[in-house]
Amino acid sequence: MKNKTYNKKKILIVFLAATVMILGLIGRLCYLMILDAEYYQKKAEDLHEREREIKAARGEIVDRNGKVLATNKTVCTVSVIHSQIEDPEAVIRALSSTLELEESEVRKKVEKVSSMERIKTNVEKETGDKIREMNLAGVKVDEDFKRYYPYEELASKVLGFTGGDNQGIIGLEVKYEDYLKGENGKILSTTDARGVELEGIAEDRIEPSAGNTLQISIDYNIQKYAQQMAQKVMEEKQADKVAIILMNPQNGEIYAMVNWPEFNLNEPFELPEGVSASSEEEKQELLNQMWRNGCINDTYEPGSTFKIITSSACLEEGVVDLDDTFVCPGYKIVEDRRIRCHKVGGHGAETFVEGVQNSCNPVFMEIGLRLGAERFCDYFEQFGLMEKTGVDLPGEAGTIMHRLEDIGEVELATMTFGQSFQVTPVQMAATVSSLINGGKRVTPHFAVSVQDGESGRTIKTFSDKQGKRIVSEETSKTMQKILESVVSEGSGKNAYIEGYSIGGKTATSQTLPRSANKYISSFIGFAPAEDPQVLGMCVIYDPQGIYYGGTIAAPVVREIFDDVLPYLGIEKEE
Amino acid sequence: MKRAEKPESGGIDKVLLVIVFLLVITGLVILYSTSSYNGRIKFGDSFYYLKKQIFATTLGIAGMYAVAKTDYHVWAKLAVPGYILAIVLCIAVMLFGDEYNGSKRWLSLGPFSFQPSEYVKVALIVFLAWLVTRNAKKIGKLSILFRIMLFALPVVGLVGASNLSTAVIILGIAVILIFTASPKYGQFIWMAVTGTGFMAVFLGLESYRLERIAIWQNPEKYEKGYQTLQGLYAIGSGGLFGKGLGSSIQKLGFVPEAQNDMIFSIICEELGLVGAVLVILLFFLLIWRFFVIASHAPDLFGALIAAGAMGHMMIQVILNIAVVTNTIPNTGITLPFISYGGTSVVFLLVEMGLVFSVASW
Repeated sequence: MKNKTYNKKKILIVFLAATVMILGLIGRLCYLMILDAEYYQKKAEDLHEREREIKAARGEIVDRNGKVLATNKTVCTVSVIHSQIEDPEAVIRALSSTLELEESEVRKKVEKVSSMERIKTNVEKETGDKIREMNLAGVKVDEDFKRYYPYEELASKVLGFTGGDNQGIIGLEVKYEDYLKGENGKILSTTDARGVELEGIAEDRIEPSAGNTLQISIDYNIQKYAQQMAQKVMEEKQADKVAIILMNPQNGEIYAMVNWPEFNLNEPFELPEGVSASSEEEKQELLNQMWRNGCINDTYEPGSTFKIITSSACLEEGVVDLDDTFVCPGYKIVEDRRIRCHKVGGHGAETFVEGVQNSCNPVFMEIGLRLGAERFCDYFEQFGLMEKTGVDLPGEAGTIMHRLEDIGEVELATMTFGQSFQVTPVQMAATVSSLINGGKRVTPHFAVSVQDGESGRTIKTFSDKQGKRIVSEETSKTMQKILESVVSEGSGKNAYIEGYSIGGKTATSQTLPRSANKYISSFIGFAPAEDPQVLGMCVIYDPQGIYYGGTIAAPVVREIFDDVLPYLGIEKEE
Repeated sequence: MKRAEKPESGGIDKVLLVIVFLLVITGLVILYSTSSYNGRIKFGDSFYYLKKQIFATTLGIAGMYAVAKTDYHVWAKLAVPGYILAIVLCIAVMLFGDEYNGSKRWLSLGPFSFQPSEYVKVALIVFLAWLVTRNAKKIGKLSILFRIMLFALPVVGLVGASNLSTAVIILGIAVILIFTASPKYGQFIWMAVTGTGFMAVFLGLESYRLERIAIWQNPEKYEKGYQTLQGLYAIGSGGLFGKGLGSSIQKLGFVPEAQNDMIFSIICEELGLVGAVLVILLFFLLIWRFFVIASHAPDLFGALIAAGAMGHMMIQVILNIAVVTNTIPNTGITLPFISYGGTSVVFLLVEMGLVFSVASW
C-alpha cells in the first residue's frame, strides 16, 4: 500500500492541530507565569513560610519601693504540625486529656491541613514538659511568657490582668498597655510540606523587645494592711463590700486602693467560691461584677462627709462665720417638708463649728439656703465635682447631679448633707484632699514613672499636675481646724489617735430605695491636720447591726493611720 | 517512494536521534531534581528514583537500537500476536495486578514490576497500522471504519477499567490512524460530535466525574483540588527564569509525588517560563520530526506507524501540560521521557526505535 498524497495531507492536519494546541498551552503558561504569577507566588510563600512569634516579655508593674506586683512566668504553647503527625488518633487523645480540651475541638485542629496549628496557649510549664516527654511526632511545645501576679488578689481591681495574647484587659494593665506590652519578635522560616525547616534558606528574625517597667504609687505594705482591715471589717459587719482609699492629699498619689472582696489575678476567669453561673452570658456578667473597681466605676450618695464641701463653699463665700449660732430642734422645715436631724431630740443651741462636730443637718440646711442653689452649683463646679477626677484607670464614672433649674429648696437642703446626688468614692477623696491641702485641686493617680525594661533607666515621669486653686488657703486652713475638732471633740472621735492631730468627717447614708433600710457608712480622715500628708477613706456598704460611720468606719481609718503614719515617717507630736 | 523497493538500511535519522537524546537527558536531570527529596524521605536514598529510571532507560535504549536496526515490516507479521498479548496482559493485570495509589496497573515479574498499559500503546500502534493498511482501499466505508474501531475497543475497555487516561490516549491514537488512512473528512466530524455526546453522558453518569469538573473550575474550593492547586503554586512561583535547577520548594512534599504526573509544574518553578517553553519546544521538535518521517515514509504501514507515534506523543504531552496548567480537569497522564516510570520509558524508546526504522528503511 502506498503512502498517498491524501495521507500526507491528513498527517499535516494532525500536525497542525498539535501545533495549535501546543501554542495554546504556551499561551496559557505565559498567562499563569506572568499575569497570575504574583498571586500564586504569594500563596506559595504563605504555604512555605512559617511565622513564629517570639512573645515579648511584658513590662513589670512595681510599687513605689520597687516591689514587683505584676511580672511574667514561663508557660508553654502547644501546637501541631499537620504533616509531621504520624498517629493522629494518639495525638488527639493525648492532647485532649492532658490539656483538658474537648476531643472534637482538638480533632478539628489536628486534622486541618495547615503548616502549623495552635492547640492551646498559656499551658503550665509542668504540663508542657509532660507533653514534650510523650514524644508525639508532630506535636510542638514552645515556651512563652504568662502574666503572673505574686500577691494574687492584692490591688486586683487596680492592677488588672491580661488576656491570652498578653494584652491588658482591665485596670492599669490596659491603661498603660502601650508602655507595658513591648514589641513581639518574629521568626520567618521556609519549611517543606512536613513543616521541617529548610537549611540554607535565610530565616528572617526580628528580635522581640521587652515591655517597660511601670512604677506606681501604690505601697505594697499600706495596700496589704488596708486590705486586711477591709477584710476584717467586712467580716465583722457582714457587709456587702468595703472600699478603702489612702492617698497623698498634696499630690494625688494613691498609696492604697482596696475594693474588698478582691479576686485572684492569676485566675481572673474563676468565679468566687459558692457562685455559679447557668449560662455563658451570666458568667460574663458575674465576672464583670467581680472585676469592677467600686471606688472608681460606681457612684454613691456621700452623706455627711459631703458637709466638708458644703462648709468650704459657705466659708469661702462668707455666708457663715465660725461662731455663728444655730438652734437645732431635731428637724428643719423646708417649704412643706420637715427634714429631720439624725439626733431626734435636736442639738439645741450650737455654733457653726459645733454644728460640724455634731454633723447637725439643720445647720447645713440653713447655711446651704443662705448660699442658694446657683452659688451652690457654682462651687460644685469650681471644686471639680462636675468633672471626672482624671484618675488613671479606665471606666471612671461621672457625677450624677440635678440640673440647676430642677433644684428647689428641698433638693438644695438635702444636697447640703450629701444626699440626692451621687459621686464616686475617688471623687470624694480627691475633692476633700484638694480642700484641705491648702486649696489646690489634685488629680488622683497611680502611675509614677516608666523605666526601660532592660536598663532600668527612667524614660518617663508622670508629673503630679499642680492643679488650679479651688479654694483660698485661708478657707483650707479653717477647714483643717474644724475637721481636726470633729475628730478630737465631735462625731469623729473614734478616729482619734493619741499624739496625732487628725482631721476627719463621718457619714452614714441610707441607700436607695430608702425602704430597704440599707446604709453606707463612711469616714474620711487626714493627718497631720495642719499639714495633711495622708488622707484615708473607708466606705462600708450595707453593714449589719450598728451602721453609723463614726462607730464602724472611723475606727478602720484610725487603725490604718496608727500603722501607716509612723510607717510614712510622720512623727507623733509631744 | 523509491526507497520502498530498496530494503537496505538507509542510515539513522540524526535529527531525531539528537532530539530523543536531548529529551532523555533533560528528563533524567529533571527527574533527579524532582525526585531526590521524595527518594530521601521514603527510601533514604536521593538517587532511588534516578537509579531505577537510568536502569530502565538503558534497557529502553538497547531495545530502541534493536528495533531501529530491524526492518519495520517484520512487525506486520507480529501485529496479531502482539495484539493478543496485549489483551492477555490487560486481563492478567486485572486478575493479578498490584495496587498502587488505589489503581491496579502493575504486574510483578520477580524483582521487576511492569505496567502493561505502556506496552499496549505500542502494540496497538503496530496492530492498527497493520489492520488499517490491509483495509486501506475500503477505509472510506463506514462499516470498515467501525470494524477497525471494533478491534480497538476491547483494549480501550480493558485498559480503561483501571486507567481511564491511558484508554483515552489509545482511543485517540486509533482515531488519528484511521483519520490518516481515510480520504474522507465528513465522517470524522460526525465521529467527533458523537464522541462529545458520549463524553457528556459518560461524565453525567458518575457524579464524581462532574465533581472533577467543579474542582477544575475552582480548585481552591475543594480539598481534592489540592494537587492541582499545588501545581499552580509551583508554576506561578517560577516567573520568567525560575528559581534555578534544584531550588523548587513545591517539590518538597507540597506537590504530592512531584516526580510523577505533576513534574511539569516543577520544571516551571525551577526553570521558569523560558525553561518550560524550551521543554515544550523539544517535544514540538519531536512531533515535527515524526510528522516529517510520516510524510516521507515509503509506504502506508510505515507512515501509519510514524503517525501513530506522533499521535501518541502529542496527545500525551498536550494532555499532561493541559492538566498541570489546569486547562482541563485533572486526569493522571505522565509526561513522556520526563515523568518517573520505568515501563513507560522502555516502551517509549522502543516506539522511537520503530520510527527510526521507518525513517531508515
